[in-house]
Amino acid sequence: MQDYGTCGPTPPRRPSDRSPAVSPAGLKIVIAGGFGVGKTTFVGAISEIEPLTTEEYLTAASAPTDSLDQVESKETTTVAMDFGRITFDVPVVPIPVELFLFGTPGQERFLHTWHSLAHGAIGAVVLADTRRLDASFTAVAYFEQLALPFVVAVNQFPRAHRYSADEIRQALVLDPGVPVISCDARNGTSAASVLMTLVEHARSARFTEPAVLDMRP
Amino acid sequence: MECADGASWSVEDSTQVRPYAVTSGRTQPRHLLSLESVLEAGSAEPAGTASPEAAQILALCRSHRRSIAELSGTIGQPVPVVKVLVSDLLDARALWLPVTTPFYDSPTGPRPHTQLLEAVSAGLRNLWPDAASKAV
Repeated sequence: MQDYGTCGPTPPRRPSDRSPAVSPAGLKIVIAGGFGVGKTTFVGAISEIEPLTTEEYLTAASAPTDSLDQVESKETTTVAMDFGRITFDVPVVPIPVELFLFGTPGQERFLHTWHSLAHGAIGAVVLADTRRLDASFTAVAYFEQLALPFVVAVNQFPRAHRYSADEIRQALVLDPGVPVISCDARNGTSAASVLMTLVEHARSARFTEPAVLDMRP
Repeated sequence: MECADGASWSVEDSTQVRPYAVTSGRTQPRHLLSLESVLEAGSAEPAGTASPEAAQILALCRSHRRSIAELSGTIGQPVPVVKVLVSDLLDARALWLPVTTPFYDSPTGPRPHTQLLEAVSAGLRNLWPDAASKAV
């Protein structure tokens, strides 16, 4: 099997009868959070395409959260992820940049999905609802363990109590460096602010290493 | 199964045809593809008669480069099925994977280059002029 993953060796050569085109760089951001926290809305607010639902099959055993008393074993789980994309054509780099957004379920039994998604990702947004903050614990612990840059974005639901960023930081036992921001997942500007915060956080000295980018076609 | 955010859980209703019928029973792609692998159309035609799903993938990639995740969502087939079909099209040189090296190896895995993060930041600012980073 050939590896065409993010760091893989040579993909098929471009046919020589095609003029050299500029290939985009694909980057991704994981949007994690519990059911109903607004992941689909968030992806939809910022994606240039209608958010898509992508099904992935997982062949690992489910965690004991599933009641399987009547079933001998369960080997395949279907996970639905939201998918969105934004294309940037900016002079900063010589190639277009495509940003992929993956909205993924926040429960422990879906950690397998996160593992492949987190590989090479810019970072993650943990979308939180203050009424169910405990639903964010798994995601926070997981991204901390991976040393993946992440921000906590509190989706402000109309009737939810407003807590200060410090209160949320304390409740989630966050490292002081982790940005905690409030957002409105329905609003493109607000969602873009969350992503910009994540990108800036990922650029901070803690995560980046000086490296020269070679993007010769 | 609990589904608070609507339609994101579809197991039975999306699959009229058994998924791996589309791939003639094959479950393993020959190429290791990730969700964000981007595919572009090549100049070659697939050999023989392509399945409707493969033809759909090819048509989509001919209009615009597409990631595995987007192809899966658009044609309504699960990711593993799309990976098998894309592998066929790669072998036939009907599709190819553009070469980019947007990552470097950090001690905790591949990370995007700083220049690319800057490009994303600038791109977001262009599209949403009122958006602002609130990083500490």
